[in-house]
Amino acid sequence: MPLSAREAQRARVALQRFGLGPKPGGLARIGDDALQALKDELDTPKISAIERGSLPTYATATRVSQGDFSEMEAVRERELRARIDKHLSVDIGFVERLVMFWSNHFSMSINKDGVIRGTYGQLERDVIRKHVLGKFADMHLGVMRHPAMIRYLDNQDSIGPNSETGKAWGAGYNENLGRELLELHTLGTGGGYSEKDVTSMALLLTGWSFVRWWEIGQDWADVPDDRPGQFFFRKEWHEPGAISFMGKTYAPDGQKQAEKAMRDIARKRATAEHIAFKLVRHFITDEPTKAMVDPVANAFYKSGGDLKKTALALIGLPAAFDAPLTKIRTPYELSIAQFRALGARYRSDAMWLFYEPLRAMDNLPWERPAPDGYPDESWAWLDPDGMTIRLDTAMLAVDAYAGDFKKSAYELGKSLYGASLSDTTSDALMWTTDKRAGLTLLFMSPEFQRR
Amino acid sequence: MGRIIPPEDISPALRAAALQGCEESQLLMSRRSMLGITAGLFSAAFTPRFASAVGGSDPRLLVVVLRGGMDGVNAVVPHGDPSYVSQRGDIAIPKSATQPLDGFFGLNPALSAFGSMYSAKQAAAVHAVCTPLRNRSHFECQDNLESGLPGLASNPTGWLNRLLQVLPGGSPIRSHGAIQIGEAPLLLRGPAPVLGWSPTWFSHPPENITSSVTRLLKMRDAELYKALSAGLKSDELAERAGSGEGDVSGLRKAFRGAARLLAANDGPRIAVLSVGNFDTHSGQGTTDGFLWGSLHELDSGLDEFRSSGSAIWDNTVIVMATEFGRTVKVNGDDGTDHGSGTVALLAGGAVAGGKVHGDWPGLAVRNLDDDSLMPTTDLRSVFKGVLLDHLGVAPKLLDEKIFPESKAVKPLRGLVRSRAGDAMADAQVSVAPAAMRPLSAIERYRRLNAI
Repeated sequence: MPLSAREAQRARVALQRFGLGPKPGGLARIGDDALQALKDELDTPKISAIERGSLPTYATATRVSQGDFSEMEAVRERELRARIDKHLSVDIGFVERLVMFWSNHFSMSINKDGVIRGTYGQLERDVIRKHVLGKFADMHLGVMRHPAMIRYLDNQDSIGPNSETGKAWGAGYNENLGRELLELHTLGTGGGYSEKDVTSMALLLTGWSFVRWWEIGQDWADVPDDRPGQFFFRKEWHEPGAISFMGKTYAPDGQKQAEKAMRDIARKRATAEHIAFKLVRHFITDEPTKAMVDPVANAFYKSGGDLKKTALALIGLPAAFDAPLTKIRTPYELSIAQFRALGARYRSDAMWLFYEPLRAMDNLPWERPAPDGYPDESWAWLDPDGMTIRLDTAMLAVDAYAGDFKKSAYELGKSLYGASLSDTTSDALMWTTDKRAGLTLLFMSPEFQRR
Repeated sequence: MGRIIPPEDISPALRAAALQGCEESQLLMSRRSMLGITAGLFSAAFTPRFASAVGGSDPRLLVVVLRGGMDGVNAVVPHGDPSYVSQRGDIAIPKSATQPLDGFFGLNPALSAFGSMYSAKQAAAVHAVCTPLRNRSHFECQDNLESGLPGLASNPTGWLNRLLQVLPGGSPIRSHGAIQIGEAPLLLRGPAPVLGWSPTWFSHPPENITSSVTRLLKMRDAELYKALSAGLKSDELAERAGSGEGDVSGLRKAFRGAARLLAANDGPRIAVLSVGNFDTHSGQGTTDGFLWGSLHELDSGLDEFRSSGSAIWDNTVIVMATEFGRTVKVNGDDGTDHGSGTVALLAGGAVAGGKVHGDWPGLAVRNLDDDSLMPTTDLRSVFKGVLLDHLGVAPKLLDEKIFPESKAVKPLRGLVRSRAGDAMADAQVSVAPAAMRPLSAIERYRRLNAI
């Protein structure tokens, strides 16, 4: 039995707001209980994992990241293709969206350094995906201990001024990682920490580094020679003594000193609130209210940062299904949605067809130049320039990927959105018999652009 | 929807006006303001009411970021330096091939249009400039050039965005805004809204497709419709082909678009665009080759700007700057590596041209900065000189807000014809707050909810 208009609308919300967009007939597969369909996805074993033998282990990725540009670039592309294939394989894609959310939460740019280019994909698989329905603190620590983040926020040469090395070299600390850890990754601005706490966090992180290829075998460097590119805690660079941070004193304990502080930060109310705010803003509305944020923050806080419980609280909000779909898809989400709608895939012989629209719209995956991540708000994407590029590249996608597509745009629209397709859009598609024009129109319709 | 509370990240004057209840400014203040203003490009609603510009002129500024690290020594060639030929060996450009600029410097022949502007006293150069950060990293030095900060900072705002934030409300620059051509640069990043237009190579859809899309959006989604209509209009204005021309490169289209948009009465007053391909590590060449090609592209862009923007040429300054220069010594691949000191170029009818400014440090080995041209002028001096005299920006704003902690870095005077700075020296200005970092969404949420 076809879904009623209301059921279809709820299924569309599940697929569009929380997922990666419908595949043909996808609405019917969701069935009449859209919320349950999202929960079922969260319960699916190994739903977040990408298992592909050709992708590098931590040891391989970090080693490659200390070598040739061409090798790390090849790894990056393999990783990205595997990511897209995973996006296309799942029915709804709620977990994929969560992976994208967390990856963007810990945003880095591959263009800063080869260390990041060579390992970003591995980090996403082995840290973000691994913990996406696990504990926030485990994901956070995993990211902080990863050479990509250490390099991206300049911690590899951060030296405690009172450490042996600090005194001998007159060297100091770099506060980038400590600052962003508090401001972007956990508590958020206004989350109750001071400038002094930023310094303390930076001092706690002194010595968190990785092994550079040019240090291996050098007497002065004293690094292990069997793990190039891997995380390495340089104890003689670490600031000695107890460090007080946010009203608590952390006794000297090597690498664990910072880890204890991070686990404490993850348990703070401000962190829960910041994460909840960002989740609501990403998935539901540009202007989250306290009524939306609080239940999600409570779930995070009370569960000790359990991300599955947090996700369940998010989809359990009244607004989750009732708030209108007013946000606009990011260009990356749009490209993935086009693939899913057409049953198509990037063309390995012409990856530029995938990259160039995203380059033009400043949304290439893993290339956000600043650590704050790609914006979640619609205003960042919904501008005149962006809209004309959306139009041009909608047609480009039709030309590139819909060559073998047999259905009419009207049939596809009905198959994707069922009874939730508006009469106006439905009529417009019906009257547009030319395939290229019809599919471009479908891709530009509010149904397809909004989420 | 309830009363709109203005965000904190706008000028106090506008915020006060908004709180007083003026409907128009209330609208401006909502989070949608970004969209409202962006989408307002060329719409009547955007036509500002402002006092006529200082001295009746209505200055235009184009900032061109030359990415990759341009070799200043072979762009504006120091033939008067006895070490030039021996240091540059195979890639030394023969004096006979260059256009003499003064008794000392000659111009790379790829820059012929720039040369004709120089002869007409509409172009100038400043030699041996460098950003304050000199670590020779593309990523970080470009950040530094664009952030306008004394050193590295994670997640900063751009100095042009801070300019927009601190200018008085009646200023034509503030009311008309700034536009990014192509990629979104850090230069314009921050809370002040900016416009955008990209010259892309994507084909525009034929008229029947475009009109069916706009028709559907007009009926179904006013926001998408408004943005798309504005975008189509700016495309039309910026891309209209000149008479009888053939294929034009993307870069020339960008310069042409910039000129037409800056020339429009209701268009922006400041534009930013980027020119790449200056990272000449191998096969740099002399009167042909890698550097020649990149300079020639830049030069044809300038030529394009001059002809498409003839109506505003007399009020225009184009500043061209790069993140660093290159080693004076030639590497093993007939190229040059990352260095420090380089040249900045200025062009436009408002430039006091025909001069090479700066202190020449010399190319003898003992005078080098490691193996590069020793910087003698801070790039911020050049920017400050242009902003002071061309745009009439008060020194206090320049020293504290636009280029923080730069009081010791004096504006370079005499770069442009206007001497607006003379009247500004003792100007009493109230300094509006400029956000050094974009106000984060979580902070705004916390303030609104008094958390």
